[in-house]
Amino acid sequence: MALVHIDGDDLVVVIEGLDKLWAFKSSLTIPLANVRGATADPGIAADPKGIRAPGAHVPGVITAGTFHLDGEKVFWDVKDPSKAVVIELDDERYARLVLQVDNPRETVTLVENALR
Amino acid sequence: MGRQRTFDEDEVVRAAVGLFGGRAYDGVSVDDLVTHLGVHRNSLYKTFGSKRGLYLAALRRHLGDDVRPLAEALAAAPDAATVLRLVTAADLGLLLLAVVDRAPADEEVAAEVAAALAGIDQAIADALHIPTALAAGLTAAALGIVLRGNPDGVGAALTQRFDRQGK
Repeated sequence: MALVHIDGDDLVVVIEGLDKLWAFKSSLTIPLANVRGATADPGIAADPKGIRAPGAHVPGVITAGTFHLDGEKVFWDVKDPSKAVVIELDDERYARLVLQVDNPRETVTLVENALR
Repeated sequence: MGRQRTFDEDEVVRAAVGLFGGRAYDGVSVDDLVTHLGVHRNSLYKTFGSKRGLYLAALRRHLGDDVRPLAEALAAAPDAATVLRLVTAADLGLLLLAVVDRAPADEEVAAEVAAALAGIDQAIADALHIPTALAAGLTAAALGIVLRGNPDGVGAALTQRFDRQGK
């Protein structure tokens, strides 16, 4: 589970609970200028994720950490695919974040409104 | 550096107009977009940023490709009957859906559709030499007739009254 909020000109992602162990991260701070958008995407978990390093990937249980796909780094923290939100980034270490959040619709609105 | 795009962005946006024009925004999933547009999920995110990014691109394409030509044709309409015929014949699926579905929730969508409708009003006002407010009323009636499936006789009844009084 991840908590997403806006702090001034930054998007802040806090990884909660034990996930931070598997993900090797407890939080990420990204300037909003480098955030391109957010999308609720339950289907993404069924797609190939690429090669994991570092992190944990137990198919069907947890996908957490950094994955390398098509030359891009993607950060994952998802157990329940129905609550997955994709945040697309620009000029960052990660090309995108795939996060499980409590309320995908609210998170998408929060991020998209912050970009306008 | 990402890998090269292997799809025609133009074609994808055009196909998205059809998809978003036929179904409510929440009814179109990223899986639907990936399947119907033939684009990889990663490329979709990389190119448009989000589903909303693609939606806005599709809406702008629809307004440019479908709604602007309508406004141009309306500007040369000789009477209200022609106005109604042009509006009911146009492909306005995404515009109408955007007005109902997304404009109340998204300021950027609201601004785009308001500007497009104002363009139609103005074209009608100029063509029929009537006040913009009256033209807006005619636009509203024409779109309402489209939404009701263009029932027999309704358009004719309206425009007969309109054109007779205008002369």
